[in-house]
Amino acid sequence: MPNANRDPIKIELLKNALTAIADEMAVTMVRTARSLPIKEALDFSTGLLNADGALIAQGLCLPLHMGSFPPTMKCILADYKDDILPGDVFATNDPYLGGGTHLPDIYIFVPIFMSDTLIGFAATIGHHTDIGGRVAGGNACDNTEIYQEGVRIPPLKIAKEGQLDEMFLKLMRANVRVPQKVLGDIMASIAACRRGESGLQALADRYGVAALRASTLDLIDYAEELTRAELLELPDGQWEFEDFLDDDGFQENPIRISATLMKTNDELTVDFRGTDPQVKGSINMPFSFTVSCVYACIRSVMDPSIPNNEGFFRPITVIAEPGSFVHCTHPAPVAARGLGASRVTDCVWGALAQMLPDKVFACCVQGDYGVTIAGYTDDGAPFVSLEFLFSGWGGRPDKDGIDGLSSLAVNYSNTPVEILEVEQPLRIERYQFRADTGGAGKFRGAVGLEREYRLVEANEAVLQVRGDRHKFGPFGLNGGKAGANASHLLNPDSDSPSVPPGKFMMTLKKGESFRAQLAGGGGWGHPFERDPASVLDDVLNEKVSLECALEEYGVAIDSVRMAVNEEETMRLRKAACA
Amino acid sequence: MQSIGFDVGGTFTDIVAVGNNGRLTVRKILSTPVDYSDAICSGLAEMIKNGQVSTQDARHLVHAATVATNTVITRTGAKVGLITTDGFRDVLEIGRLRYPRLYNMAFEKPLPLVPRYLRMGVTERVDYRGNVVTELDWTNVKTAVNHLLEHNVESIAICLLNSYANPIHEQLIADYLSTFAPQITLSVSYQVLPEIKEYERTSTTVINAYIKPVVARYISNLEKQLHEMGLDAPITVMQSSGGTVRTAFVKERPVYAIESGPAAGAVGAAAVGRHLGIDNIIAFDMGGTTAKTCLIENGIPRLASEYEVGGELNIGHRLLRGGGYVLRVPAIDLAEIGAGGGSIAWIDRGGVLRVGPQSAGADPGPACYQRGGTAATVTDANVVLGYLNPKYLVGGALKIDRNLALRAVSDTIGEPLGLSAEDAALGIHTIVNSTMVRAVRAVSSEIGRDPGDFVLFAFGGSGPVHAATLAREASMANIIVPPSPGVFSAIGLLLSTVEHQYVQTFWRDLTKVDTEQLENTFGGMEEEATETLLGEGFDKHQIQLDRFVDMRYPGQTSEILVAMPGVQRDDSLLITLENAFHLEHENSYGYRSLEGESVEIVNVRLRARGLSDEAFSPDDLFQAEQQHVKPVETIHTSRNAYFGNDHGWLDTPVYPRTELESSPITGPLIIEEYDATIVVPPEATAHVDAANNVRITFETT
Repeated sequence: MPNANRDPIKIELLKNALTAIADEMAVTMVRTARSLPIKEALDFSTGLLNADGALIAQGLCLPLHMGSFPPTMKCILADYKDDILPGDVFATNDPYLGGGTHLPDIYIFVPIFMSDTLIGFAATIGHHTDIGGRVAGGNACDNTEIYQEGVRIPPLKIAKEGQLDEMFLKLMRANVRVPQKVLGDIMASIAACRRGESGLQALADRYGVAALRASTLDLIDYAEELTRAELLELPDGQWEFEDFLDDDGFQENPIRISATLMKTNDELTVDFRGTDPQVKGSINMPFSFTVSCVYACIRSVMDPSIPNNEGFFRPITVIAEPGSFVHCTHPAPVAARGLGASRVTDCVWGALAQMLPDKVFACCVQGDYGVTIAGYTDDGAPFVSLEFLFSGWGGRPDKDGIDGLSSLAVNYSNTPVEILEVEQPLRIERYQFRADTGGAGKFRGAVGLEREYRLVEANEAVLQVRGDRHKFGPFGLNGGKAGANASHLLNPDSDSPSVPPGKFMMTLKKGESFRAQLAGGGGWGHPFERDPASVLDDVLNEKVSLECALEEYGVAIDSVRMAVNEEETMRLRKAACA
Repeated sequence: MQSIGFDVGGTFTDIVAVGNNGRLTVRKILSTPVDYSDAICSGLAEMIKNGQVSTQDARHLVHAATVATNTVITRTGAKVGLITTDGFRDVLEIGRLRYPRLYNMAFEKPLPLVPRYLRMGVTERVDYRGNVVTELDWTNVKTAVNHLLEHNVESIAICLLNSYANPIHEQLIADYLSTFAPQITLSVSYQVLPEIKEYERTSTTVINAYIKPVVARYISNLEKQLHEMGLDAPITVMQSSGGTVRTAFVKERPVYAIESGPAAGAVGAAAVGRHLGIDNIIAFDMGGTTAKTCLIENGIPRLASEYEVGGELNIGHRLLRGGGYVLRVPAIDLAEIGAGGGSIAWIDRGGVLRVGPQSAGADPGPACYQRGGTAATVTDANVVLGYLNPKYLVGGALKIDRNLALRAVSDTIGEPLGLSAEDAALGIHTIVNSTMVRAVRAVSSEIGRDPGDFVLFAFGGSGPVHAATLAREASMANIIVPPSPGVFSAIGLLLSTVEHQYVQTFWRDLTKVDTEQLENTFGGMEEEATETLLGEGFDKHQIQLDRFVDMRYPGQTSEILVAMPGVQRDDSLLITLENAFHLEHENSYGYRSLEGESVEIVNVRLRARGLSDEAFSPDDLFQAEQQHVKPVETIHTSRNAYFGNDHGWLDTPVYPRTELESSPITGPLIIEEYDATIVVPPEATAHVDAANNVRITFETT
């Protein structure tokens, strides 16, 4: 029930004003950041919190950051409760001491004051290109403990009276491989927080400190009410789904993720009990990140205009066993937890698809691929090339999956090939669709992508790949088939190409090349129900081969006339039914 | 001498004509989407018949066209083939992978303008330094060309990897095509846009190829028809950058002329501002469905280097793209949101009043238009508040019914929320302002500019009603409303100059810049520009060339435009550039880099203008009597208008614009003219300046 005392106009004005501030923070960040994950992939978020640490607005660039600020804010407040002063800047990146999710994600908090009264915090999360540690790029999947993964920043005050702490800068410069980028991104984060600071101060000036606080609390209640109203309209019940990661890079056995979705009235619970225990390799999920995954999935089936604040979280409960893959405990390694997150979100969407069969898609290709190539160029300069690769969406209940698109969980962009070739000692040899990889279905899943890297201006480099879906393709729904598995090729144009496993690290020599071949999206509905004209179109565009059209879709195409053989198609499809 | 501007929009075609005698004549007619030139020609024919346009005196014909944009949006362009580097045929379709709104399962990615079977890879490779790594494979080229010809493409785009660094292979293929298949329209990336980033360059080149035959036919047809009418003056066309070009250029590079209407308004605002000695302006154009803002600094509208056609409207989308077709050409940097007179007010499940993004459009339109609309729109709210005339708009051409507005606002908003009709209406007015403030901030505070340092320049059908209250909300004290605000974009056409923009990637650390090489690069561009302008009939003394560089800190993805100092040519030039960059970065984003960090140049840019000796100046406009204006019958000399709890309902004087004087009058005040209504709240004053603009001022406290 809406709050009877709510000012129906003021709350909308406040929401617009707060969103504008969070967006301005995001613009500052993206226009001044230095590293690919932030500037091109938009792997960052901005937020405003009140003095108690409750989230009042979030400028979202990465869907999976929903809910990421409150756990870190809590740790900062716990450590510095009585020592928060104007001009301070706080930072942390640690999953066990700071509420973070993996070390490359550095959180920055700037306290905001009106004269001497703390009125809130401006905050950013940014994914940095490197954070030190044993493998460049900070995303290795074969770490075995958090200590190998880079610089751990416990909640720290990194600036006083507006002056950055030289000791912190020195320590970071000494520990990361590309300090100009990392420190440049920290500067961009602080600049963004300063925008948030002046924005919130202007609002406090206008509303008055106490009135602003009361209104923001009501804005949180309002988001909760909208969320509950949406939940109430969803069907009640319980739905289970499971999906698998290939392995952790050490052991062969797959890792099972299990999600049970329970919805009663206006509350929703996702229970991950039954999920496998945490693993040796660094793809484990800190619980806070598992929670963020759930929030992102639930938001995608709701009205997108619900304000991004604490109120959205309240009706949603997440349960997981400590020590399990989705709630790892110290000192479990987590560097490549993005891979874990892709399967957790797949799994939650799989459960949601049963609740909402007319809305949710078959499995997307969720960024299972991280490719890091790092070392020293022929000129002796250090370099770190870090990319996450995506294909597209799964087949939808009424349309094909979209080819060439980030996943719903991670709105990543790709790096322009020409930019990459100037900035890194690499040449990209191809970047294109892979035919016959989209999961067959009445509505086809997206075709997979391939991208090939050749080392050209460095003698050697570390190639570290975090891949998955080599054994379990992205699932189809309602009779649709799974997308084709991913695979790799080393030196595909040589006499002896080799096929490395999904997760590996090796030395790449000058002139050698590595090709990542991504999975395709899952299909939706039975392939024999697909309109033959759509199959023909796919064949004409070489997304589906003639053979695949015949075998998977039961569509016979006359390759000379490039037309569907209606009679033969009818016969094939009838025979299959019988 | 007479200048004529025609601005073709989606709904209306506005024609304005001004002569030396200082007469401004205006015609507003419905656009004709089947052939947009029909409306122009029938409008002009009538104006010739009425003696408003003289075929002998007309020297300048300036056109803002919608045909290019419309061709993309409705996907009615040519059948295009694309030739690209082998292994990269999908660059166009993959794009940047991004979608514009998070958590949106209903997203649809725009279909590529060239389907995959018409995208052909050829074996070849140039590296980022411009060295040929793999020679062009002619067998591949011939196979590709034959395939495309067999499929009857009308237009071919060529875009190879790293061609910005060395276009040799693109040139070879283009030469082959012009001999082998001269009937095919060509668009080659190194000519359209020699700039780094393969997707953006490919997309831009493909859009050029896609619209080129359509635009060329349209322009030729228009020229022919005008010629038959006796109008022989050369036509110039507004580009998205705000400069105009001759039609021959538009037929070659139509991609530069997409979105030319909105650019014209910003150019007009800048020109009027310069004339008044006001260099810092935020232009604000509000119509029935959208509102647009643009920052004008030092008299020049700010440019963006990239935008999207056909994307959704939303401020956030300036960051998150993916909804439309990407164009990397200089364009006036507009922030656009879906808020206008037709935006519908509603109550959400949390009991909160919301406005838009749904719009009542032209049909049924606002409830007060008496066309069966029952939803409360922004225009209905403005009628309830007494801001808009309760009986008619557009000088009587549009009858309205205040009771219908009152009923819509009361029934759908007031009663459910327990508010009086006037408080509900004020809520709608204020909320739509708050979304438009976001558009104001997007062009100002986002880059460190305080809106308070700028003057709000308001036009468009709904702009003047909201100008003052919006300005107050954005802490802006001064507002200008020009004459004929409803057709101001067309007037902007008359205030534009011929202009070409050139860009060349020149990416290196500032310390590694060889100033001689930089000079040579500019020199080459200037030669091309000069030749083009001379070819267009300008004299050497009329050519104005301005040099700029795009600069940034290493690793950044967005650049800051820095003007090259006029005389320095030695190494001290680099220090000047570096200092200018640091300063602008700090102004825009609040900080400069840590000590000892380098700065780099990415692109060099040239703006080349052809200044006409007999160009039309704002003076002509400002002396113009408003011949077209039927004196507004002031049935009421005052009416009740509501200005919130502090003031309540006030008996507010209503002036026809022609009766407003140069001595300031304190609000509340409503000024009505043919195509717009200006609201002056109680805290502000209004007067008319020597140039016939209405100036509104809030007392600064």
